[in-house]
Amino acid sequence: MTSRKPFLDALVAALAADDVVVSCLGANARWLPHMSVPVPVFALCDSMSAAVPLALGMALSRADRHVIALEGDGSLLMSPNVLATLAAARPSNLTVILWVNGHYESSGGQALPSAPVDWVALARASGIGRVTVVDEPGALAPALAAARGAEGPAVLVLPIAFDPAEEIPPYSERPEEIRARFRL
Amino acid sequence: MTGAERIVGGLESAGVTLAASVPDTWIGKLMTTVRASKAIRAVDVAREEEAVAVACGANLAGGRGAVLVQNAGLLNCGGILAGLVELYRIPCFFIVSLRGDARDPIYYHAPKGRVTETTLVAWRLPYALLDRAGDIAGQVKRGVESAIESRGPFVLLISGEDLA
Repeated sequence: MTSRKPFLDALVAALAADDVVVSCLGANARWLPHMSVPVPVFALCDSMSAAVPLALGMALSRADRHVIALEGDGSLLMSPNVLATLAAARPSNLTVILWVNGHYESSGGQALPSAPVDWVALARASGIGRVTVVDEPGALAPALAAARGAEGPAVLVLPIAFDPAEEIPPYSERPEEIRARFRL
Repeated sequence: MTGAERIVGGLESAGVTLAASVPDTWIGKLMTTVRASKAIRAVDVAREEEAVAVACGANLAGGRGAVLVQNAGLLNCGGILAGLVELYRIPCFFIVSLRGDARDPIYYHAPKGRVTETTLVAWRLPYALLDRAGDIAGQVKRGVESAIESRGPFVLLISGEDLA
């Protein structure tokens, strides 16, 4: 199983000019300011489970942009209802990328409740028509391209290795800075 | 013109483009009127915290979002109000049905009615009670504008009788 950073590198390389990235709190939100991301990024440092509905509000307001929500498995487990809301709203310009490592990485690496959640089945059962497992970084760009052309929202499920030794940078931007810089 | 139509007229005149909602009996009636608006997109969500995030997303993307929920739902939203709306200073206008006050005939709402305004004060949320004898649309518009100007939340509490 691949670790997080190669997937994140592949994602940044695959972004298109009209993309917008919304990240849930945690490792991705901490990494992104240290990468050359060519599109607007709204990174959360709190509010677990807010990334998908935040992205939904953007997607419904800006049909000319494709909004990519980065969500973690722990965060989604807190409010899996967001998948049903997303399916009901049916925006074709929103893709959720779900990072699955079974741990609350940003709070010290605690394990999620040990229920064997089938994320693909959960997304499909919630009404998401396009759900794809992306199990290696090279497959992310074509999966994202296919998601962009989908009717309705798409969910890409990324199983990643949990690495307690990964050196994740600390949060390096204040929320007001993120808010001020975010322009669509 | 009904109170519900005046409220929606106020949302429209304030430039609201999206209304995210979890219904109760009163908010459901109001959302029926929202759905008749050509200017406002109604977004049905499953939990009230989602409504806050959807409205904030609209605001960040150049639209103007509003949240229409019951007071029970507002009480669910302490975390996202602190960790999204306040932390990132995003305008977020709420219309909240004040269940359980003296005007509400349903007994089981009373515990929520007893804690709603005290919670708003404790959370330091600016709020107003809709005055149905006054300019309803104007009160709604001023609430939206207050949220925009303060880059934060504003809550307008309504009762079922305000919709008639």
